[in-house]
Amino acid sequence: MGFFSPWFLAGIAAIGLPLWLHLLRQYKRAPRPFSSLMFFERRVQSSVKHRRLRYLLLLSMRMALLVLLALAFANPFVNRAAAAATRRKLTIVAVDRSFSMRYGDRMRDAKAQAHRVLNALPGRQLAQVIALDSRIENLTQPENDRNILSAAIDSIQPNDRASSFGEFVRALRVMDQTTNTRLEAHLIGDMQKTSMPPDFRDLQLGPRTALTLHVIGNRNAPNWAVETVTVPARIYNPSQTRLTATIAGWQTPAASREVSLVLDNRVIASKNVSVPASGRAQVEFLSFDVPYGAHKGEIRIAPRDNLPDDDAFPFSVERSDPRKVLFLYAGGRAREAFYYKTAIDSASDTGLVVQIAPVEQAASFDFSKFAFVVLNDVGDLDTPTARGLCAYVSGGGAALITLGPDTLAVGRVPLSADRIAPGYETQGVGSVDNQDPALLGVGRFDNVQFSGTLRLSPKPGARVIAKFADGSPLLVEESMGEGRILIFASTLDNETSDFPLHSSFLPFVAQTGRYLAGGEETPSSVTAGTPVVLRRARAQSAAADVIGPDGKHELSLRDASQALTFDLDRNGFYEVQRANGRRLLMAVHADRRESDLTTADAETLALWRNTGNTAVEPSPGSVDRETRPSSLWRYAMLLVLISAVMESVFASRYLKEERQTA
Amino acid sequence: MPEAANRFLDPAVLAEIAGLDLIAKTVVDGFIAGLHRSPDFGFSQEFAEYRAYTPGDDLRHVDWNVFARTEKAYLKRYRGETNTSVMVLLDASASMGFRSGAVRKFDYSKFLASALVYLAHLQRDSAGLIVFHDDVADFIRPSGRQGQLMRLLHAIDNAQLGKRTDFRRPFFELGQFLKRRGIAILISDFFENPDTIVRTVEPLRFRGSELILFHVLDPEEIEPQLGEAALLLDMETDEALEASPDYARTEYREKIAAHIQDLRSKAQAAGIEYFLLRTDRPLDEALREYFTIRQGRI
Repeated sequence: MGFFSPWFLAGIAAIGLPLWLHLLRQYKRAPRPFSSLMFFERRVQSSVKHRRLRYLLLLSMRMALLVLLALAFANPFVNRAAAAATRRKLTIVAVDRSFSMRYGDRMRDAKAQAHRVLNALPGRQLAQVIALDSRIENLTQPENDRNILSAAIDSIQPNDRASSFGEFVRALRVMDQTTNTRLEAHLIGDMQKTSMPPDFRDLQLGPRTALTLHVIGNRNAPNWAVETVTVPARIYNPSQTRLTATIAGWQTPAASREVSLVLDNRVIASKNVSVPASGRAQVEFLSFDVPYGAHKGEIRIAPRDNLPDDDAFPFSVERSDPRKVLFLYAGGRAREAFYYKTAIDSASDTGLVVQIAPVEQAASFDFSKFAFVVLNDVGDLDTPTARGLCAYVSGGGAALITLGPDTLAVGRVPLSADRIAPGYETQGVGSVDNQDPALLGVGRFDNVQFSGTLRLSPKPGARVIAKFADGSPLLVEESMGEGRILIFASTLDNETSDFPLHSSFLPFVAQTGRYLAGGEETPSSVTAGTPVVLRRARAQSAAADVIGPDGKHELSLRDASQALTFDLDRNGFYEVQRANGRRLLMAVHADRRESDLTTADAETLALWRNTGNTAVEPSPGSVDRETRPSSLWRYAMLLVLISAVMESVFASRYLKEERQTA
Repeated sequence: MPEAANRFLDPAVLAEIAGLDLIAKTVVDGFIAGLHRSPDFGFSQEFAEYRAYTPGDDLRHVDWNVFARTEKAYLKRYRGETNTSVMVLLDASASMGFRSGAVRKFDYSKFLASALVYLAHLQRDSAGLIVFHDDVADFIRPSGRQGQLMRLLHAIDNAQLGKRTDFRRPFFELGQFLKRRGIAILISDFFENPDTIVRTVEPLRFRGSELILFHVLDPEEIEPQLGEAALLLDMETDEALEASPDYARTEYREKIAAHIQDLRSKAQAAGIEYFLLRTDRPLDEALREYFTIRQGRI
């Protein structure tokens, strides 16, 4: 027997309290008047003799209550033979269904092996079938019905996700800790090296888990694949279009491959490329013509191999004219747009052109025709303009709001109504979050000095992306309905800062422009399993829609009206219509880690097996000797409860007696 | 004694009656009713004795029938003419305030004193009162005058507890006033050395007075019941002392019994009547004792 928290045993010292109550306090009673003490004698003996404990039963109840309470907190345990627990055994049959299992007949072989494992089990043995990719899916509950288990195995189909042994072990550990059962896990798959977690400790099995690995397929199967394709998702000028594809081979000899650029199932260009043995080669397609609209593109290699699905890499591309940005300025300050417009025009890949207008004319514009709106220190907006801009942003639009003296005079930021106050006269930039999509790749704002800075008080929930040196916000993102606002606590000219004169100004303008125009949301291709945002808030009642690679609608009615995201987990093209009405063509490719079919080496797999209980069929003796701590605090608390009730009963009885005596 | 009458002699019942005059009347009437005799039995109407005529005697009291037969003049004397003086000495020390039941010893003693003076009044005896503790708190000279009864009852009613008991001083003063032979009734709990008590009261006996000691004790004082060790506080001295249940059950009882026996024997040896009264007992026992003594004086 032991204690999980032995320091709580110090609480047993509290039994001195009832002793004091019963021995000393009870003795010190109020004097009782008596007519004469001439027949009483003062004896030391009588004093000592009668300092005896009273109400021994009540005292013992109280002492027991305190001792048991201390014991309960100390959390006692006994090492029990875990025979009863470990005699119950659950067999886990886990089948890898990741993308690599599409190779040749691997999935068929894996299912056959799973059936063999199942058939080898004793008749009443509990078993559970799970499927493994980047997640764990329980295909059955623990069952001893072989028909249900076999049907579950038969239903397993390979998908386009990557497998993760770390995730598999984590699930086993949870089962080991939460079920009082001995686990016998059988993992059936191709045991790819790329499925191993970076840290071997993530493969540590639980103490009651025994793992058997069933390796399916060739250890070093050769495979070619289109590993990556780099192409802008939006093309504004076909003459500047550039597509780069990487062709990779694993366990392959040096060979030549024909690489084709396919657009809408039409091959528009082909090249031969020599791929070194187990190496990579790059192919570029330049200045190819893309018609207006969204298109399904592919890079294919030929001839195809035993894993044909990674011999083509899907991507989406959209040809469109540059989108307009409305730059609104306060009357008489037209030159303030100069730096911003110049920066946008310089960054041609943004696909944006700037239209400049005084804010007084803003009400005449249809804001929905603009990618976003820039409010450059416009001060107070008139009501129709403010209302129109709010409706535009809330409906999915975007705005860049810059703050200067005119806005400070009003005291509030347009649209967001955040409060502003004067800040330090001159200061630099403190910190910049370069991982934020709005400033991704922008770099630091070194040596930029801002004068007459403002202290912005953003709303709760706003994201501060950059800060001044004094810690006050410089760039803040706030949500407004389906849209978003970037608030820049300075202007975009050289009146209040020297920012436009620094090299960081151009990437800042280009990246925030891309971000606000929504360009970052539609990469040309995403890995299977990537979620796509359907709506920003559940309150958005308009329905979303997703059409899968097979042309079927993927969302149920409930999901169409309520789901915030949808996982794109199949190779091919998805047509997504968001709740705000925006349509996207999303290309999805299988995780290319799955294309490397190299099996983990035998030593690593053996080490992995040995992290668990290696005795798959323990001898009866070893089962009986196995012990595990079993906590007794529940029993202690039960006894505390019983003692408390008995103490109450006895105490009330004695109290009644004392009152009667008094 | 009938139950109905006896019921009114129960100290607990008497404690609920307001007014000592009513209590005294209730007690005495109930007591006498229990005797089945007239309250005026023998007093003044009943023949007591003959006495030889001496010059100066009132000729109206000469029994002429005896003179006719014997030619000797005798005076006929009646009981009423044997009136005596009754002096009640009431201990008002703090220890008399003790009680374990419904009635304090002091209240019980007041009932008794009231009943005695009322009974004396009925017998046409002159009655007086001394209330004392360590000093004389109140003193009413014995008298048979009109209104004496009410004065006595009023004095008994107003008697307050003092502090300690000291028999010597009150009895010294009593000796100054009590020139005439009579009956002295001392009502006390006698928490004092029996020798001291007897030595103090004995001189009265030498003067021909009858002396009755009514020893009033609470049952708890005779047989204390301590369920647990207790801190006892002396009501007279404020001295505190821890007492154990064992001691109270054994040694104390032996000591108080020895005290009572010692006091009884020493009093009897000195020709003093002694009577122990427990406050849970009816008052008629005390009255009967007095009555017996009173008859003996006729």
